[in-house]
Amino acid sequence: MTSELRIDPRIVAEFLQMNKNILEAPKLVAAPDEISLEMTPYDVVYSEGKMRLLHFISPEPKQARTPLLITYALINRYHILDIHPQKSWVRNMLEQGLDVYLIDWGTPTEMDRYLGFDDYVNGYMDNCVNFVLNESSVENVSMQGYCTGGTLATVYASLYPKKIKNLILTAPVIDGSKDSTVVANLAKHMDVDKMVDVVGNMPPEFMYYVFSILKPFEQGLEKYVQFFKNIHNKDYVENFIRVEKWLSDTPPVPGELFREWVKNIYQDNLLIRNQMYVAGRQVNLKNISMPVFTQVAVGDHLVSPECSMPIHYAVSTEDKTLRIYATGHVGMIASSFSQKRVLPELGQWIKERSEK
Amino acid sequence: MLLLLNFVNYHTGAKVSCCLQLEMAISISCAYYHIILRMASTESYKKSLGYYGHVSLFWTDLISLMSSRPNSLMSTGPFRKLGVNSKKISAEMIEVNQELAEFNTRITEYYKQLTTTWNEAQKQFEKKVPEIPTDAEHLDSTKRIWIDIFENYFTRLFDSVEFAENFGKLVSSELELAKRWNNITSLMLETVNMPTKKEIDEMYKELHLLRKRVAKLEKIDNVGVNTNDK
Repeated sequence: MTSELRIDPRIVAEFLQMNKNILEAPKLVAAPDEISLEMTPYDVVYSEGKMRLLHFISPEPKQARTPLLITYALINRYHILDIHPQKSWVRNMLEQGLDVYLIDWGTPTEMDRYLGFDDYVNGYMDNCVNFVLNESSVENVSMQGYCTGGTLATVYASLYPKKIKNLILTAPVIDGSKDSTVVANLAKHMDVDKMVDVVGNMPPEFMYYVFSILKPFEQGLEKYVQFFKNIHNKDYVENFIRVEKWLSDTPPVPGELFREWVKNIYQDNLLIRNQMYVAGRQVNLKNISMPVFTQVAVGDHLVSPECSMPIHYAVSTEDKTLRIYATGHVGMIASSFSQKRVLPELGQWIKERSEK
Repeated sequence: MLLLLNFVNYHTGAKVSCCLQLEMAISISCAYYHIILRMASTESYKKSLGYYGHVSLFWTDLISLMSSRPNSLMSTGPFRKLGVNSKKISAEMIEVNQELAEFNTRITEYYKQLTTTWNEAQKQFEKKVPEIPTDAEHLDSTKRIWIDIFENYFTRLFDSVEFAENFGKLVSSELELAKRWNNITSLMLETVNMPTKKEIDEMYKELHLLRKRVAKLEKIDNVGVNTNDK
């Protein structure tokens, strides 16, 4: 009696090809450590503590006097907004004739563990805005916040409405009670006091763990299979390595800021209820009377659209736009889709509402 | 147990057959036996920990009392402080065992949740497999189905309150361990006159407050300068 294992020879060929690709990979692709994520040139025009204010150098003539100040998120680094020449958010904004500044939060150390919302909003952000206002000789700026940077921008706009001409919120974290993501689920059940009291700053490793369970099979397995499958596609692998490098580099979050964040936004949900206080000042979303452009992504698994969209209904301005895109959290800012769909209409919207 | 059943029968007027009574008595006895055994194991664990703690502290205290006076001559070196702190270190080491027990419970539950979910997803996938042909054309779709099924099951787990609650407690128990570890390290640092984490934290806090005060003063100063300019 004989038994025969029948395998389609094409499957064997595919398997062998995959092995060959894995062996060839180091010859074809640079290691993440060997590449630099710096793309568009900039000047560091102001710095305070670990924070730096970057001013991007534009080859294009300015089409608007009102500068755009981007408040980057607290997780990972700003490089995702300038990750690839063909997918750069910053470069696209410059090419549309805007004057672009960006706040890079740097890498907080244990020394910064007592920095909270007050230091970030009333300190760093306000100082940056004042600097930009002075440099540009204007009375107000357009401010864009991405992800957790969107929350900071919202708080700032509520406390300093006169300094903001236009507010752009890209996947902002606003209503924690409506956030259906794994991140929110874990944040709601976390003893944040104990974490901050014992370890100080939120360690990056904690964030890496959270990332790893967001889409464990798609992101933890299939993504790498596709990488080796496409190892001869230069554009694909270059972009892959750049995004991977960005993903694996997140700075710690200052302890007090992390404590306030988890409690005010996720656990007690104070921001959307106008019950959040920063240094004794109430954050009332009704103070946001300037034009507001909110961008959310249907496939966002880090900040669900239901968490971001309430800001559109909470602000007092009549000039408000809500755009829902068929993409994900990163796809909305660093993809061909964002270059074709998201950025052209945003640039147009900002220019129509800026000083000429 | 039978007496108890007879008492119940007498008061409720229930007619329970002898055989059924015996069966019930055995099963209730077994349940009691298990509860008592569990209590005994937890109790004996606590008892032995307590005993170990007591013996350790007793000898540390006694040796310290017996030897500290003549040794106080060496109060400038590390040995005196080590002698005093060794009691606290012993206490921390004993407490660590209790935190470890909680950590083990939480991590076991964590892996149990992952394993159960994996098995459920695998069963679901196996139900689908016979429907898919095993040729090269269908290799990708088989993989897609596998990923989709597993992704759905695990996302449901990670989105659940049960997972988040246990995860929160797991992290919390890890932090308790870290706290003990920090305490022991601080005691050792104290012994050799080095600044502890608590002392450095106090300095960071002071620095933070000072920076805020300076920023406030600078703002006031700038407003003054601008007003003078005008």
